[in-house]
Amino acid sequence: MTRLGSHVQLLLAVATVLILPLVMHSGSLASEVLIYALAVLGCNLLLGYTGLLSFGQGIFFGLGSYALGIALTRFDLPVLATLVLAVVVGAVAAMFVGWFAIRQRGTYFVMLTLAFSQMFYFLAYSLSDITGGDNGLLDIPRPALGLTGRPLLELSSPWQFYGFVAVCFVLVFWALLRLTNSVFGRTLLAIRDNEARAAAVGYDVKLFKLAAFAISGGVTALAGAFLALMTGIAPLSSIEYHTSEMILVMTVIGGTGNLFASVLGAAFYVLFADWLSTLWPRWLMLLGFLLIAVSLFMHRGIWGLGETIWLRLRGRPPIDPDDGSVATLGPVAPAAATGTTANTATATTRSEKRP
Amino acid sequence: MTTTPPTTAATAGAPLLRARGVVKRFGKFVALHGIDLDIMPRTVHSVIGPNGAGKTTLFHTLTGTLSTSEGSIVFDDHDVTPLADHQRVQRGIARSFQVTSLFANLSVRENLRLAAQGVHRSGAFNGWHRPEGVRAHAGTVDQTLQRMGLEKQADITAGLLSHSQQRRLEVGMALAARPKAIFLDEPTSGMGIDDLDAMKALIRGLRDDHTVVLIEHNMGIVMDISDTITVMQQGRVLVEGKPDDIRRDERVRTAYLGNMITGGRA
Amino acid sequence: MNVYLLQVVNGIGIGMLYFLLAVGLSIIFGLLRFVNFSHGAFYLLGAYFCFQAVQWGLSFWLALLIVPLVVGACAWIIEKLVLRHVYAQPHEFHILITVGLALVVQEAVILVWGPLGDNVATPAALAGVVMWGDFIYPKYRLFVIGFTSVFAVVLWWILEGTRLGSAVRAGSESTEMVSLLGINVFRVFSLVFALGAATAALAGVLAAPIRGVEPFMGIEALGIAFVIVVVGGIVQSVMSTLWPEGARLMIYVAMAAVLLLRPHGLLGRG
Repeated sequence: MTRLGSHVQLLLAVATVLILPLVMHSGSLASEVLIYALAVLGCNLLLGYTGLLSFGQGIFFGLGSYALGIALTRFDLPVLATLVLAVVVGAVAAMFVGWFAIRQRGTYFVMLTLAFSQMFYFLAYSLSDITGGDNGLLDIPRPALGLTGRPLLELSSPWQFYGFVAVCFVLVFWALLRLTNSVFGRTLLAIRDNEARAAAVGYDVKLFKLAAFAISGGVTALAGAFLALMTGIAPLSSIEYHTSEMILVMTVIGGTGNLFASVLGAAFYVLFADWLSTLWPRWLMLLGFLLIAVSLFMHRGIWGLGETIWLRLRGRPPIDPDDGSVATLGPVAPAAATGTTANTATATTRSEKRP
Repeated sequence: MTTTPPTTAATAGAPLLRARGVVKRFGKFVALHGIDLDIMPRTVHSVIGPNGAGKTTLFHTLTGTLSTSEGSIVFDDHDVTPLADHQRVQRGIARSFQVTSLFANLSVRENLRLAAQGVHRSGAFNGWHRPEGVRAHAGTVDQTLQRMGLEKQADITAGLLSHSQQRRLEVGMALAARPKAIFLDEPTSGMGIDDLDAMKALIRGLRDDHTVVLIEHNMGIVMDISDTITVMQQGRVLVEGKPDDIRRDERVRTAYLGNMITGGRA
Repeated sequence: MNVYLLQVVNGIGIGMLYFLLAVGLSIIFGLLRFVNFSHGAFYLLGAYFCFQAVQWGLSFWLALLIVPLVVGACAWIIEKLVLRHVYAQPHEFHILITVGLALVVQEAVILVWGPLGDNVATPAALAGVVMWGDFIYPKYRLFVIGFTSVFAVVLWWILEGTRLGSAVRAGSESTEMVSLLGINVFRVFSLVFALGAATAALAGVLAAPIRGVEPFMGIEALGIAFVIVVVGGIVQSVMSTLWPEGARLMIYVAMAAVLLLRPHGLLGRG
C-alpha cells in the first residue's frame, strides 16, 4: 500500500467531519461514527502498527464510560476534567493488561486479552455499587463545557455535542498521525515487522509495546467516555467482549494500512448497521457474509478496495505489495510479509500453514 | 571517516570481552559446558567447529539474545551478564544473524536508520518528530550503505534483495550501531564466489575500528583474516590459538574428520 | 450444607456441558492454532437440530447419535470450502471469518425457527429425580454428568492413544514435519475441526432438555468456553514447568475447578 501522505489523511478526516452533518439527520448518529472511529484508531494503533491483535479494547472503552459516569454523577467534576480522567484510567488499565499480555505471542496473546476482557466484565458486574452492575450507571448529566465554573459552551443539543466531539476527534487524529509518522511510530512498525531484529538492534520491545498499549487504551477510553456523555448511561455491555469484537471487526473491515482507513471502518459499520437494521431484522446475516468476504478477498479492507478501484479507474495496475519498486515506509497489508524475515512468531505459524 | 568511541578497557593488554564459565542449558540438554573466552580489542577472533558445537549458542549468550544458565560475561569492564540483548547494544555490542533477519517490509535505508537509532534509544521514544534531519542518522546510514556496497539499493524493500545483498545488509545492520564489538554469525553463508572476496576484505577492514568476533565455516576466510581462532566441539572449547597453530593441531583435524582445514591434503 | 451441595452438583450438570464445549474448542485451538469464534454456532446448531428432530417425532437418543454427526459433516464442508483459505493469513482474519460464520448461523436459525426459543422435553427414561437421603437430583443431569465423563475419557484416549491422536498432537507442534511423514495434513485438519464441532453439537443436544433452545445460546456458551480454555492454558503452561507429563491433564482439572467455583450468575444468565 502506498504511504498515504499525512496531510491528505488529515484533510480526509476534516472533510469527513464536515460532511457528516450535511448528509445525516441525526447528530447522535454522527457523533457515534466519530466515537467509534476513535475506538478503532486505538485498536489499529495496536494491530496495524505494532502487530498486536487485542481482544481487550472493550475493557478500556467500558472503563472510560464508567470513569466519566462516576466522575460526573458522584464528584461533579467539570466535563473536560472527566474526559482527561477517562483517558488516564484507560491508559493505566491498558498498561496493566498489556504488561501481562505482552508476555505471550500470537494466538496466546489474543486469548489472554480475551480472558482479561471477561475478567473485567465479571468485576464490573460484581462491583455493582460502583458500576451499577447489570443496570450500569444511569442518568449521567451532560453539563456545559466551562472554565473555572462558568459555562462557556452548551452541549445539550445533538449537533452541539457533535461539534465538540468533532473538534476533539480531529485533534486526536492529528496527534495520532504525528505519532505514527514519528520516530516512535516507525519503531513500532519495525517491531511489528521483526521483533527479534528490533531487540537485536537495541530497542526495548516490551517498553514500546506497553507504550502503544497505553496510548491505545487512553484513546479508546476517551471514546467510551464520549459515548457515555452522549447517551447518559454507562452500560455493562460496553465492557463486554462483544464490544471488543465489534471494535476489532470495524478495524479489520476498514483496513489496517493507515489511520484514515479506521475512520472508514467505523463509519461503514455504524451507518451500515443503522440503515440496514431498519430494512431487515436479519441484517446481521449480511454483516456475517461481509466479514467472510473480507477475510477471503479483501485483506486491505474497505480502504484497500477503494484504492484498487481508484487505481483501476486511472488505468494503473493495482498495487502489488510485493513489488519492490516502491519501498513502503508505512504499514503493509498483513499478507505481504515475505520470506523468513517476518516476526518470528507469526512467521512460524504462517509458513507452517502453507501446503 | 568512522569514529568508534574509544574503549574504556583498562590497559592495552586487557581483553575487551571476558567470558568465564559460561554454561547454557535447554531443559536437560547442556549446550555449553562452561566456556572461558577472552576477546582482545581490535582483533578478528573466529569461532569455528563442527555443526552442533554450540557456536551460535555461545554467540547468543555473549550478545544477550539468550541468557546464561551459569557464568559471567564482562564487556569493556562492565558485567553484562544480567543484561538483555537490547541493553548490550547500548554498551557497544552488535550482531548479525546466521539466518537472515531483517525488517523485510521496510527499505534498506530504513533498516539501517533503525539500526543506527537503536543505540540512541531514548531518542526512539520521540512521538512527535519524523525521522528527518538529525534523526535520520543520514551520516551513519550513507556511510554504511557505501561500505556494504548497497547505495543503489537504498530505497528497495529489504525482503526483495538478493541473498548476497541481504547478507551484506545483515552485516550493515551491525555496523550501523557503531559498536565496539561486532559479532558476525556466518556472514558469508550462501554467498557466491564473487561476493565472498568482497566480504572477506570487508571483515578484515573492520578490524581497524572494531573488534570482530566471527563464526565461519569457510576456512579460507578464517585462516586468512583471523588473529585468534577458538575451536569448539560439543559445547566445549577444544583448543585456541593462532591460525597456524590451529591448522597443525591434531585434535582439530580429528574433530573435523580430516581435510577440511588443510584444504584437500589428508 | 445440603443446599450448598445441591448448588454445586447442579453446577456440575451444566458445567460438564461447558467442559465439553471447552474440550472441543481447545482441540481446534491446539492443532490449528485457530481462534474459532464459530464454536458456539455449532453448539447452537446441535441444540436446534435436536429440537427439530424431536419435533419430527424422532427419539432423543437417536438425535443424540445423529445430530453431532450431521453437524460434524457440515463443519467438515465449511472447513474445506471456506475456512481453509485463511489459515495462512494473520489471526485477525481467523477471528473475522469465524465471527462472520457465527453471525450467519445465528441469523439463519432465527429465520427458520423464530427469535423466541423453545423447550425440549426430557426423554421419558430420564425424567424425574433421584433421591438419596436428603439429596434430590434430576436424573437427566446425572446422565449428562456420566455421559460427558465417559465421552471425555474416550476423547482423551483417542487423542493420547491412537495414531490419529498422535498425528493431531504432532501436527500442533509442526505441520511441516507431519506432512513430510506422509500424513495428509489437510485431511487431519478437516477431521479435527469436524470433531471439535461435533463435540460442540453434542453439548448442544445434551443442553437442550435442561435449558431449552434459543438463538443466543451460542454466544454465551462461547464466552464461557473461551475462559475455560484460557485458564486451562495458563494452568497448563504453569504446570509444564513443574510437572510436564501431567500438564496436558491439567486442562481438564482446571476446567473442573473453574466450573465448580463458578459463582452463581457469573458470565451470563445460564
